[in-house]
Amino acid sequence: MEFSRIFSSSLIYATIRSATPVIYAALCASVTQQANILNIGTEGIMLVGAFTAVTVSFFTGSWIFGVLAAMIAGLLMALIIAVGHIRYNAEITAIGIGMNMFAIAITKFLLKALLGKSGSFSEPGIVGIPKIHFSFLEAHEGLNAIFNDWSITEVFMIILIAAMSFFLYKTVWGLRLRAVGRFPMAAQTSGIGVNALRYQALAISGLIGGLAGAHLSLGYSRMFTENMTNGRGFMGVAAMFFGGADPLLTAAGCLVFGFADSVGSRLQAYGVPAQFVLLMPYVVTVFVLSLSMAMKISRDRRKKSSLFSLSGKGVSAESAAV
Amino acid sequence: MNNPLGKNFALLEAGRRLFYILLLSLAVGALFILLIKENPLRSYVALFRGAFRGKLNFGNTLANFTPLMLTALAFAVGAKGGAFNVGVEGEVFLGGLVAAYIGIHWTFLPKILHLAACFLGAMAAAALWALIPGLLKAYYRVSEVCSTILLNYVAYNITSYFVTGPMSAGVANAQSLPVADQVRLHQFLRPSSANVGIVVAALVTLATIWLLRKTTFGFKIRAIGTNPLHAEYVGINPKTMLVKAMVLSGVLGGIAGAVEILGVHGYYLDNFAAGVGFNGMLVSLIVKNNLILVPVMAFILGALKSGALGLQQATDVPKSIVDTITAIFIIVGTMEGLFQVSRKKRNKKSEA
Repeated sequence: MEFSRIFSSSLIYATIRSATPVIYAALCASVTQQANILNIGTEGIMLVGAFTAVTVSFFTGSWIFGVLAAMIAGLLMALIIAVGHIRYNAEITAIGIGMNMFAIAITKFLLKALLGKSGSFSEPGIVGIPKIHFSFLEAHEGLNAIFNDWSITEVFMIILIAAMSFFLYKTVWGLRLRAVGRFPMAAQTSGIGVNALRYQALAISGLIGGLAGAHLSLGYSRMFTENMTNGRGFMGVAAMFFGGADPLLTAAGCLVFGFADSVGSRLQAYGVPAQFVLLMPYVVTVFVLSLSMAMKISRDRRKKSSLFSLSGKGVSAESAAV
Repeated sequence: MNNPLGKNFALLEAGRRLFYILLLSLAVGALFILLIKENPLRSYVALFRGAFRGKLNFGNTLANFTPLMLTALAFAVGAKGGAFNVGVEGEVFLGGLVAAYIGIHWTFLPKILHLAACFLGAMAAAALWALIPGLLKAYYRVSEVCSTILLNYVAYNITSYFVTGPMSAGVANAQSLPVADQVRLHQFLRPSSANVGIVVAALVTLATIWLLRKTTFGFKIRAIGTNPLHAEYVGINPKTMLVKAMVLSGVLGGIAGAVEILGVHGYYLDNFAAGVGFNGMLVSLIVKNNLILVPVMAFILGALKSGALGLQQATDVPKSIVDTITAIFIIVGTMEGLFQVSRKKRNKKSEA
């Protein structure tokens, strides 16, 4: 086994490439978690987004329309969750799981009914998200492998992380949203429209989730397969937990997953059974999630005082307890 | 609810609600069918026929119903203890794998012991698997929704490795050697795959209902699920009880896996339980983890699943419409406020 061939400079881009869909999913889950809504429906939003993107791109021949349509589809999915959860008191985990089931079923159904395919849909007519190519980088092998040929959505992901960090932590809107997440009653008392902010958080989450799907089907690959998200939405939710819903930390967590994924796929060439390669990112995610929660608990214990235990926990796993 | 009819009234209310939701989701499903220019009424008739008409169809409904009832119970038990256990699917996979392994190799045992060993092995493996997210949730506050979903993929890949590698029968499909004849569960209503597993499932269901409703252990599980703080106050350790609830959930999942392998297939088939765990969870979610209604709903969903094939054969409607309807069913079902509004209004009217 040659380690230099596994851990080459192209591994950096491979890591980012396989982490990007998860990062989008994690951002989708983070924005609602800031308002203390656990968006388990991320996976479903993403899947519907992926399907819409491919279908619209195929019929209109434009990736921009594909991405926009995916975002609108994601928005609709998120609004169903929002209305169910906020207006009709649906238990958030249950309705999220329901939305995921719905997403798998409806994309299967429409794949057959609209496109006449079952299993997967891959045509030359699908226009993918273009990659950005710098010809001057070609001269340098290392830089070429790392920085060249990023797809537009991969670049946008970095902008989105920065923008979300800014809006969540530097604007009045972000402060209010986090206040709603920490202690909705206090927020309401100070005149914040709690439910309006919750709707907004879910709407934004839907847009990001739709984009996540579009990137998966038009940027990461250029096809749609049944259940193609394959747990990436849930990994995003896990990453959100260990990043404490902070966009930057969350994204950093996703890179761990991306790393496991791309190292795994390289190991496959050396005779490691495919199943072990496939299960590695999931094991890594669960392990890192547990580790970060264990560390969080010991940290909490150290600074625990009678005052502290009274204040709301905000973003913690306990808010996810059913 | 301080109604004189008490418990029965609550059950009746739940049933009425279920009926409304069923109608609503069938209506939305009809919309989708209209959208692809098919006749909804004809499709639903085809669905019904596909579920109940003839030995084969009815048998398949029963065969679908059996594991669903068990996985729904597995989910419900976890939920009663306050854990949202999405990992039943992984438990079924691992339980099935161990049942198949013991069924193939431990032929030195007499029939009854061999059968018992298969079931016990499956239960133990699945319980150990459920123990992981249980411990993580109890002691590290790791969201069990997340960990169980991710562990499902791990469980599937582990079983897939064994059935394509060490346990492979060496045929084109990824499957194991057949289990010994003495541990096969008797099939009836052939050529469908209905089998005696249904009796096992019924007994297990009764036992679980008894365990949860009539024993101290069951009371403790329900106590931590309803109010962990109060439970701790009266001296029940919520952490250990949560782990025990998860383990019990795993045991039930393991039985489901063993029944599927020994009753339906007779060998370990790769990905044999795809959706069994998830659909069980749906069943339980729809009836809000009501143990009495779980078998009823499992039967309805089992019938829908088996009718889906008939639907696809008789019309041009893809069978995934059934999954769509089920998903809508659950989404609407979770919205607790939806049909309460109308009830409040009616109560006001009757008071006036």
